[in-house]
Amino acid sequence: MNVGIEALNVYCGLAQIPVPALFEGRGLDAERLGNLMMRNRSVGLPFEDPVTNAVNAARPIADDDRIEILITSTESGLDYSKSVASYAHEYLGLPKSCRVVEVKQACYAATAAVQLAAAYVASGVSPGAKALVIATDVALVDERAAYAEPAMGAGAAAVLISDRPRILDLDLGAFGNHSYETMDSARPEPTFDIADSDRSLFAYLDCLTNCLAGYQAKVDNADFATTFDYLAMHTPFAGMVKAAHRKLMRESGGGTASVEEDFERRMLPSLAYPSRVGNLCSGSVYLALASLIDHAALDGAARVGLYSYGSGCSSEFFSGLVDEESARTLAAMRIGDQLDGRCELGFDEYAALLPATLTCLVPERDREVDVGAYEHLLGRARFDRDLLVNTGTKDYHRTYEWLAR
Amino acid sequence: MATREHVEGVVHKAIDEILPGVEIDGRAHLKDLGADSVDRVEIILAVLDRLGVSEPLSSFGGVPSIDALVDYLWERLR
Repeated sequence: MNVGIEALNVYCGLAQIPVPALFEGRGLDAERLGNLMMRNRSVGLPFEDPVTNAVNAARPIADDDRIEILITSTESGLDYSKSVASYAHEYLGLPKSCRVVEVKQACYAATAAVQLAAAYVASGVSPGAKALVIATDVALVDERAAYAEPAMGAGAAAVLISDRPRILDLDLGAFGNHSYETMDSARPEPTFDIADSDRSLFAYLDCLTNCLAGYQAKVDNADFATTFDYLAMHTPFAGMVKAAHRKLMRESGGGTASVEEDFERRMLPSLAYPSRVGNLCSGSVYLALASLIDHAALDGAARVGLYSYGSGCSSEFFSGLVDEESARTLAAMRIGDQLDGRCELGFDEYAALLPATLTCLVPERDREVDVGAYEHLLGRARFDRDLLVNTGTKDYHRTYEWLAR
Repeated sequence: MATREHVEGVVHKAIDEILPGVEIDGRAHLKDLGADSVDRVEIILAVLDRLGVSEPLSSFGGVPSIDALVDYLWERLR
């Protein structure tokens, strides 16, 4: 049985700020733009939250009565008990017979969910069953985050797992994992993140080496330089993925091509969207996969090596096949157009939004969000379908409405 | 057996390749010399490669200065 990703979509917000403008506004050193390799970061608006991002990403692929499992993956939880998935289930109109659950392991959790869901589908306990996995988050960064601020994105990635893997046909049983406890980054309160950049970057790279070794223990003759036609990795910022590629090429002996040429051929297609959005947390590797499928000239089946890393930490290297049907299927989501349609913010507009966006996870018994107050920004964004927006909370119950296109 | 001076020379050369012309003060952290996180990875990987040391990168997360980095690597080689 073939199992994998049948459909994939992302939602990366309605607004973005060019990274050079953010550097200038914050007085950051422009010489660091080169290693960052980021062009824009998506910016959430005050009526967007983990639920709206999840629903807006998944809606175009969720009209399917065979969805038996809904899993949201988030480090932007809204309640200690009630899941983001419970709201997403309602606003996506999924069957009442659905299992609904939320998972958390920083930027890795969605891949754990994808692998568990794929194993469920492959097990045959419910023939034809599908699972919808939605990785959804908001960013909680301002000037305190220094150089991490321009790299953080906002939004969601939705993947539909089934036995009709038109986007990515998973290599079942081909994977390597590596996990251990570390405090490299965390979200100890609902208004800010903490991060130790060296500890996190070093853990990401150590885990990649160990995950690949685990993969190689399961797959005869697997080699980083020669087994994978393309690579798509969790992308905290594009420059970090480039450093990871250099490290792995060095460790694998490098193959015959130059490292730079190999990077541009196998890896760069996966970085086009991430460099325009920022870190999408556990959805990041699926944004990278979407970028790869939309930007690589696929001609016949190609094997993709995928790497997911989540602080704390847990990680996985796995693989699958993509082909022209992947490109045709994904093209219908028009992800590039979605990104083009975002409203471009100036630095002052961006800074003015932060007080409201940084508190969107703080529990409040009653709150009203005036969506109309942001008409001036909505009018500058292009979107071609109705979008879910958060209108506040009433007795802790979050309230939502559909915003007509 | 490698001397401390040899290890220090390898470390300083790698720093100079990534951050050309920078004045190296052993008491400083790489961050203080203007190395961003990608630069720091490149410097440490280059040093490990040239010294033939196999060590997880996470071992270097808490190293407070360039001198401490030299001492740590020298200790690994002894």
